[in-house]
Amino acid sequence: MAQKAVALERVLPAWSASRVGTFFAQPINLIFVLLAGVLAFLTLYPSFFLLYGSFTDAPLGVPGHFTLANYIHVYADPESYRLLLTSFIFGIGASALSVFFALVLAWITIRTNAPFRRLFELVAIIPNIMPPLLISISWVLLLNPSNGLINGTWMRLTGAESALFNIYSIPGLIFVESLILTPLAFLIIAAALKGMDPSLEESAKTLGSSEFGVVARITLPLMRPAILAAATLNFVRALESFDTPAIIALPARIEVFTTKIWREALGSFPTNHNLAAAYGVEILIIALAFVYLYRRFTSQVESFSTVTGKGFQPHQIDLSRWRYLATGVAFLLLVVLVVLPFLVLLLVSLMPYYHVPTWQTWQNLTLGNFKFILENTRAHRAFYNSMFLALVGASICMFLASLTAYMTIRTKIAGRGLLEGLVFIPWAFPGTALALGLLWAYVDFPVPIYATIWIILIAYVTRFLPYGLRAVSSTIVQIHKELEEASTACGAGFIATFRRILMPLMRPGIMAGWIILATIFMREFSATLFLYSPGAEPLGPMMYFLYLDGQRGRVGALGIIISIICVFLIAIAQRLSRWDSKH
Amino acid sequence: MGKFLSLMTLLLAAVFAGGTASAQSTAAAKKEGKAVIYGSLESDTMEAISKAFTKKTGIEVDYWRASATKVMDRAQSEFRAGKPLFDGIATNDNPQQIMQKEGLFAKYDSPSAKAFPKDAIDPNLGPRYRNVIIGIVYNKGSIKAADAPKSLEDLVKPQYRGKIVMPDPTQHTTTTQWVASLDKVLGGKEKADKYIRDLAAQKPILVESLLPAAERVATGETPIAITYVKYAFIFGQKGAPLDYVRLGKMMGDGHYIPLAAKAPHPNAGKAFIDFFLSEEGMTIMAKMGEFVNRKGVLPPLPDADKIQFVEMVDLDTKEFAEKKKEYTKIFLGS
Repeated sequence: MAQKAVALERVLPAWSASRVGTFFAQPINLIFVLLAGVLAFLTLYPSFFLLYGSFTDAPLGVPGHFTLANYIHVYADPESYRLLLTSFIFGIGASALSVFFALVLAWITIRTNAPFRRLFELVAIIPNIMPPLLISISWVLLLNPSNGLINGTWMRLTGAESALFNIYSIPGLIFVESLILTPLAFLIIAAALKGMDPSLEESAKTLGSSEFGVVARITLPLMRPAILAAATLNFVRALESFDTPAIIALPARIEVFTTKIWREALGSFPTNHNLAAAYGVEILIIALAFVYLYRRFTSQVESFSTVTGKGFQPHQIDLSRWRYLATGVAFLLLVVLVVLPFLVLLLVSLMPYYHVPTWQTWQNLTLGNFKFILENTRAHRAFYNSMFLALVGASICMFLASLTAYMTIRTKIAGRGLLEGLVFIPWAFPGTALALGLLWAYVDFPVPIYATIWIILIAYVTRFLPYGLRAVSSTIVQIHKELEEASTACGAGFIATFRRILMPLMRPGIMAGWIILATIFMREFSATLFLYSPGAEPLGPMMYFLYLDGQRGRVGALGIIISIICVFLIAIAQRLSRWDSKH
Repeated sequence: MGKFLSLMTLLLAAVFAGGTASAQSTAAAKKEGKAVIYGSLESDTMEAISKAFTKKTGIEVDYWRASATKVMDRAQSEFRAGKPLFDGIATNDNPQQIMQKEGLFAKYDSPSAKAFPKDAIDPNLGPRYRNVIIGIVYNKGSIKAADAPKSLEDLVKPQYRGKIVMPDPTQHTTTTQWVASLDKVLGGKEKADKYIRDLAAQKPILVESLLPAAERVATGETPIAITYVKYAFIFGQKGAPLDYVRLGKMMGDGHYIPLAAKAPHPNAGKAFIDFFLSEEGMTIMAKMGEFVNRKGVLPPLPDADKIQFVEMVDLDTKEFAEKKKEYTKIFLGS
């Protein structure tokens, strides 16, 4: 026995030392371990506090006792199950409608010869820039049953007694949320559509398929990972969204997850973190189930390879006389997605106080709200803080997302699935719940991160990493392995291959992700609200408090200025991406 | 002579010492450089007061604004974790009392407090600097002054059915409190209970909070609102045709600004509270439509001096839950 132990002692260190040595000799393994460490720290540390919170009877930060009371409260309530159904209808409806809008718009702008298509491509991104809260408010102003602009006009013109469409309903809720979610789906789907190998479509055409046959039998199936990615992402985003439900579901007395969490736990007095955490865990489980489904859909990675080393230019479909119809459809989407909400926002920003416009309104229009924003030092500081968060946060996030996407999709390193699992945890938690976790996670942290802008940066990177990951994954899935293999065969190491082959090929996805993240970071508020410290207020909370104080005009003005900045950010990002590809 | 001189020296020393003490605290406040305030007070109002304070003293003010619930949540968490970052908190009575009981505040007798009526001074929290008063606000464009309700009781008359907007008492905490306190102005619990049922029977439009209620009246979407009286001034200033019903007795919430027990900048915190409660600070606030309690400072709202303020009852967590349940049955019928 003793002999055996001695023998083991001799063998083990030698074995493990050599194994460990070999493992770390390859930079890819070292990077994997570092990345896993960073991700685990970012996601598990605050998540632990939330899970702990759901099983304790004292507010986070105070020692308490183990309890199941929070879960009993959640699951014993029959309303919880009705709510689950409503939330699912809302989530699935909004996600499906947004993917449909995005697909139509992406296909018309990228693959057809419809006139003005480039214009539509750009404007599909703009709604992502507009704060969701403002989009919801705009649509309430347009479609509320008593005096919405569209309903009012309809009733005046037709003499109808009732409204054309009541926004305070489940279809209304789905419609508005889908408009908010469309740009994200568009960015993901468009990136994949741009990078598609046309040879498959050409083969189908050669074999006698019609243009629409090609779309149905080749293009759509090839787009499946991107469509599923967009649908999964948007489903979870709808499930945890609070902006639209707060504006539409609450007055309509429709109860979804977030309104219940808000009403019973986070918005109640005093705040009940434990209950919020228990609800958070419920959403986490649902979201994880969807992530599992998503992974099953995309498990046969090779079959989705559509970008190969062969030179290609996505094939453009000649719609002949149908192209004007395509432009018409795109134009209609453009009006609904951008023009109407933007005009309402503009109108509100020019009004001295928020009201339904009358003839007198036109005489009272003022630039006072813009003047306030441009001259106010608090606004200047907020712009500076948000620009910093957007530029630095989106860059860090996309760097981590690209590495994670590569490791999980392309390598055979054991435990690679762990990375994606780690990244999905914060995605599954509602923003406010994660923010609470982060707050307590860092309040006692030895490095002074609490009450600085860095805690917001950490929150953004943690919370929105999955968004970046989705954007970049759908691109990486389509890049054929032969390119990397060629690079490795020519003697390039992992870092060189990653930098010189993969990064440039992943660029559409990386840029799409960067744009999504930078625009979200410019105006994020649900997590920021809990985390920002005195003197370091970003734009999101500033806008929210202006809204809370009834300064709708200033909110509108701030919203428009943020939108303009975001347009510049996008233009610069696209410029840089093109410049990079030329050099 | 010698005695006289030493007496003079002593006197001078005393005067100097006093002067030095005040100069010392000012110097200490300046050395701390800034005061950090958390609160639910509107950012515009705080900004106007802070600006005047910084101009006068050179001390900066960092203001963290959130809803009363979130203010309390953050302050308690920081306090429990032993890292409070705030020097003072400006919010309403109920959360202040809860925080006070938990030991978040230090007792501070600000020299500015002397100018407040005695009944507006809480022994622990100091002066109740403003009353946020809830009343009936109506749109003069939709309803003539003669046809507007004259009392709370008028609101339940048939002609106002479906014409009232108010925050949802099953969701909006201040409104829960307001409905629960109605017996204070209606003359007894029985009358109040009947009134609440009659009010619910009027099918008021229920919104998220007091502001959307005021906005709906400002737009004319609904003619009458139960909301903050100050909105009649704030929206009126921007051109909305609003007025408020002169109810005499009106209920509302008191607001306080106590000093933190573990203030990181105690001297700057005190200096700010002194200025905030001073005539200059309170005048700035009153000009923005607020009902401040400092003697002789009134908001620019007609008949503001005739309003009798009645403080709403404080409810604890359990009572809130019970009341919300009760009102769900009455107002939502489930």
